[in-house]
Amino acid sequence: MSADVRNETPSDLEGVPHTGEAVLPDGHLVEPQADDFRHAAAAPRDLHWYKRAVFYEVLVRAFHDHDGNGTGDLRGLTRKLDYLEWLGVDCLWLPPFYASPLRDGGYDISDFRAVLPEFGTVEDFVELLNEAHKRGIRVVTDLVMNHTSDQHPWFQESRRDPEGPYGDFYVWNDKDTGYSDARIIFVDTEASNWTYDPVRGQFYWHRFFSHQPDLNFENPEVGEAMIDVLRFWLDLGIDGFRLDAVPYLFEEEGTNCENLPRTHEFLKRCRKVVDDEYPDRVLLAEANQWPADVVEYFGDPAVGGDEAHMAFHFPLMPRIFMAVRRESRFPISEILAQTPPIPSGAQWGIFLRNHDELTLEMVTDEERDYMYAEYATDPRMKANIGIRRRLAPLLDNDRNQLELFTALLLSLPGSPVLYYGDEIGMGDNIWLGDRDSVRTPMQWTPDRNAGFSTCDPGRIYLPVIMDPVYGYQAINVEAQSNSAQSLLNWTRRMIHVRHEHPAFGLGDFTELGSSNPSVLAYRRHYAEAGADSDDLVICVNNLSRFPQPVELDLSEHEGGVPVELTGGVRFPAIGELPYLLTLPGHGFYWFQIIRPETERDA
Amino acid sequence: MAEADLVETITEALRVLLPEQRWFAGKGRPVHGVRALRTTELSGPDPALIHAVVEVDQGEAQPDRYQLLLGARGELPDSLGHAWVAATGDRAVYQAEHDPELTSLLLGLMAEGVEVGGLRFTTEPGATLDTGLRSRPVGADQSNTSLVFGQTYILKLFRKVDTGRSPDLELHRALAARGCKHIATPLGSIEGDLDEVMGPGGGDSTVTYGMLTEYLRGTADGWAMATTSVRDLLAEDMRADGSTTGVEHPHPEDVGGDFASEAHRLGQAVATVHADLAAALGSTPAPDGYLDTLADEMHEKLDQVLAQVPELGAHEPALRATFDAVRDLTAPVPLQRVHGDLHLGQVLRSVTGWVLIDFEGEPMAPLAQRVAPASPLRDVAGMLRSFDYAANHLPLGDADPQQRAVVALEWTIRNQDAFCDGYAQVASDPREQHVLLRAFELSKAVYEVGYENGNRPTWLQIPMEAIARLTTDPAPEQYRPGVYSDQHDL
Repeated sequence: MSADVRNETPSDLEGVPHTGEAVLPDGHLVEPQADDFRHAAAAPRDLHWYKRAVFYEVLVRAFHDHDGNGTGDLRGLTRKLDYLEWLGVDCLWLPPFYASPLRDGGYDISDFRAVLPEFGTVEDFVELLNEAHKRGIRVVTDLVMNHTSDQHPWFQESRRDPEGPYGDFYVWNDKDTGYSDARIIFVDTEASNWTYDPVRGQFYWHRFFSHQPDLNFENPEVGEAMIDVLRFWLDLGIDGFRLDAVPYLFEEEGTNCENLPRTHEFLKRCRKVVDDEYPDRVLLAEANQWPADVVEYFGDPAVGGDEAHMAFHFPLMPRIFMAVRRESRFPISEILAQTPPIPSGAQWGIFLRNHDELTLEMVTDEERDYMYAEYATDPRMKANIGIRRRLAPLLDNDRNQLELFTALLLSLPGSPVLYYGDEIGMGDNIWLGDRDSVRTPMQWTPDRNAGFSTCDPGRIYLPVIMDPVYGYQAINVEAQSNSAQSLLNWTRRMIHVRHEHPAFGLGDFTELGSSNPSVLAYRRHYAEAGADSDDLVICVNNLSRFPQPVELDLSEHEGGVPVELTGGVRFPAIGELPYLLTLPGHGFYWFQIIRPETERDA
Repeated sequence: MAEADLVETITEALRVLLPEQRWFAGKGRPVHGVRALRTTELSGPDPALIHAVVEVDQGEAQPDRYQLLLGARGELPDSLGHAWVAATGDRAVYQAEHDPELTSLLLGLMAEGVEVGGLRFTTEPGATLDTGLRSRPVGADQSNTSLVFGQTYILKLFRKVDTGRSPDLELHRALAARGCKHIATPLGSIEGDLDEVMGPGGGDSTVTYGMLTEYLRGTADGWAMATTSVRDLLAEDMRADGSTTGVEHPHPEDVGGDFASEAHRLGQAVATVHADLAAALGSTPAPDGYLDTLADEMHEKLDQVLAQVPELGAHEPALRATFDAVRDLTAPVPLQRVHGDLHLGQVLRSVTGWVLIDFEGEPMAPLAQRVAPASPLRDVAGMLRSFDYAANHLPLGDADPQQRAVVALEWTIRNQDAFCDGYAQVASDPREQHVLLRAFELSKAVYEVGYENGNRPTWLQIPMEAIARLTTDPAPEQYRPGVYSDQHDL
C-alpha cells in the first residue's frame, strides 16, 4: 500500500514549538531554535569520558511515570537520577524521544526539534540534562539521519511541492527500478525499496519501512539541515548521539548502497562540527556489520579517528552466550581475534541485551540455529532474526551465570552498556507483541504498578511483569537495595571496581590462552604515557558449569602479586612456572597485579 | 678436560638417570652400560653446553641411542638443582634443557645457520628468529622434550635417535611449502649425521635432533574440547531422570555443549592435510598384493592380542571375516604419506581453526614403517576410535550404566558422522570405502585391547565394547553420510 495522506500537521504538537508552525515567504518552514530554550549546564570536562563510562540504556516510556498517565516520561526519569548515580552509571542512552507517529518505536521521527508530547517537552529534556550533569551523568540519544517519518513536515512539503525548497529533500524518481543492487532489509513487510506516492505522482526511496522515506543526502541542503539538528540539541547540552542506520545515507547506482565513501565523508563533516564546536561530545555509529567493516566508521587511525567516537560491537554478544553454553572460550576468542585494532580515540560499545531482540544477524546460519535451540525454546521467544528475551530468563535466572555474564560485560574491551532492569534481574513477557516483551515497566517497589506509576493499572502502557519468579513483588529495586547480597548490590559493587581501574576502559587487551578450553583469561593493561600509573588487571573466567583448573603463563609478570579486586585478598606471587588457579563452576576472578617492591605505603 | 671425556666420566650417573626419564624407551629392562657415541661442545667452558648422543646397552643387538643436552658449571644455582646429574672435577653437570641461558644458544645457532662439530643448525626458508627469548621445558610427551621460547617458538628435541630424517620435520616442511593452514609453521631444525657410527654407505645416516616451529599460543587440544562436550551431555542426562519425570534422555544434538560443528571442521582440516600431503609427496594406487599384506598384518596383530586377552575370542570369527574382506576389494586403494598416529590428542584448536601436530607416525614402529605410504583411511579410523574413547572415558558416577552407554554411543556416532561429513566436503567421503575403513577401525580397536590389557585394565571395556558393536552392527547402517545436522535417532 502506498503512503496515504494523513493529517498534514501533527495536531498533538499544538501549543509547543514545532517545525512548520509558520512558513517563510520563500516557502521554508520555520523551525524551533536552541536559543528559544534554556540551556543545560555542561557536564565536567573530560575528553575521553566515553572510554571509561558505564552506559545504561533506559526507555523513557518504561522507567518512571511522573504525571500518572500510565506512560513513563522525562520528568519521571529525572526523578530517578539519584538511583542511577548510586548505581554508578556514567551515561544514559535514550532511544528516540522525538515527536513521532510511533509506527517504528519512535525511530520514525516526524519532528527533529520537538519532544513526543507523552514524554514531555524540550524544557523537560533540558531539565533532565541539567540534573544529570549535576550528578556527573551524561546523556546521549538516538538520532536517525537516514530517513524521517512520512509525517515529517519536510516530507509533506516535498510531496506537495516538487519545486519548493523541500522538493529535493527526498529521493524521488519516475521509475521504481533504480539502485536494484540494494537489498531489502525488512523482507517480511516490504516488497521493494521504492513506493509510489499518489500526491507527487512519483516513487520515493526507502531502505526501511515505506512510511520512512530516505532523505536525499545528494542535496547539500539536507546535509546542512541535519547538521543544524545536531547543533540544536548540542546547544541545549546533550552529550552525544547514537547515529542510527548510518551505512545507508548515500545511494549510488551499481552498488549495494551501503558504506559508500560519500557516507563516510558526511560523517567526517559531522565529527568536525563536534570537534570544533562541541568538544567532549560523542558520536556513536550504529552499524550492524562485521567488526572489520565497522572500524571504517571510526575514520582515519592516523589522526586517532575522525568519524564516530564509538560503535557497537554486535557479533561479540551472541558469542558470549554461545561460549558459555558450549563451555568453550573459542566463540569469544575467535571474534576478538578477528576484531581489528581501532584508532586511539575510538571505543567499542558492548552489551548483553538492549531494547531490540538479541540480534543474530552477525552469526552464521548454523550458529543462529544453535542460539534458537539453546535460548529460544518457545517459538514465541523469537523475533525477526533474534531472540526477544531479557538476560535473566535467558540464563534460567541462574545467579552464577548472571554474575559471570556481567563480569564479562564489564571487563571485555569496550564500554559496557547495561539495559535497564537487568541490574535487578527483571524478567520478560513473551506474550506481548513484537519486542515489547523486554520493554515492560521498571520494577521499583512491590506496590501497585511496581512503583512505576500511580495510574489505574488498566491504563499502564504495558502490563508489569507478574509471574511468581520475575514479578515485581519478588524482583524490585526497593527489596534489592536492602539486601547486601542482591544482584543489584553485587552489580553496583562490580561497576565501582571497574571505575577504580583505568585498565578496563583504557587498557589494551591480550588473551592469555591455556590448555583448558573452558577457561577464558585475558589481560587488560593501561600505562599512562609519561605518568607513573600502570594498571594491570588479569581476568579469568570459567565458562563451564563445572569447577575447572587452569595453568596460566604469567611468566612476563614474574615476581608480581595478584590481588583479587572485590576482596583485596593477596594470592601467591607469580613465579617462572605456569600459575595454577582453580575456579568454581561459572566462577571468575579479577586480579590486579602489583609489584610488592614498588608499594609505597606497605 | 675435553668435553668428550666429560661425558665418559658421568656414564655411570647416566646409567642410573636415564631409566628415570619419561622419554626412556627401554623401561623395565636392566641397563648394563652407557657409552658416548659423539659429543659436541656448543659453548664453554663455564657454563658449557654439550650436545651428546649416547648408546644404552640393554643387551639388544641394536642398542637404543638417545640425545642429551648437558650443561656444566663451576657453581650450579639453586634454581637448577633439580637438573643435577653428576659432579666431575670442579664442575657440576646437569640437564641443560632446564637452563634458559644455555637453551637460548640453540636459537642463536639456528638463526646464524651454522654447522658446529657435525651439527647443522638451520632456519626454514623465509624464517627470521628472535634469539633473545627465554625457554622453559613443557609437556608430558612420551618420546620428546619440548622447549617453549617466550610463548613464540617451540623446539621439539627428539630423544630417541634414529637414522633417517624425522617424518615430523619432513611432513611439516612439505605441508608448509603447500601453504597448509592446519599445521604449526616450521621455523628451523637441528640435524646431523651418524656416519662415524654407521660407517659410510650404511643408508641414510641423517639424524633429526630438533625441530623448531611457531608456538600456537592459547590452543586447547581436541581431547579436552571433546570431553568438555561429553561432560556437558552427561550432566544434562543426570537432570532428565526418566524413571521419575518421564523426560527422555537428552540427545547430543539438543544440548548446548554439542561438539558436532567442531568435529565437522576437524574433518575438513584432516582432509585438507591429506590432500596437501598427496599433492606435495604423491599418491599412488596400492601395488598388487598390498591388500593381502595389509590383511595379513591385521590377522597377525589379532593373533598377538588373542594370546593375551582370550575374551576377545568371542569376536574372532567376525574380526577375521572383516579383515579378509579387505583382500577382495576391487576398487583402487590410493596410498600416500599420512599422519600415522591421529587422535584427538594430536589436534589443537586455535582461534583460527584446527591444527594437526606430531607427524612422527606410530611411536613404537621403526622409521621405515612410519614413513611408508598408507591409506589415509588409517588416520580417519584413528580419529573415529578417538571419538569413542572421548565419549566413554569419564567416570561413571552414579549414572545408570546402560543409559550412560546409550548416551555415549549417540555422542560418538553424531561426532563420527560430523567428522566424516566435514572430511567429505574436501575429499571423497571415507564412508564410501566402508569395508577398508571398518577393517582399520577394528584393527585399531584390537591394538587398543592389547594396550589397555597391559597398561590400563579399567579402560579395556572401551575397545571391547566397540568391537562387539562394530562386528554386529552392519556397516551401511552406521555410515550414513550427511546426518549430523538432522534429527538423529538410534
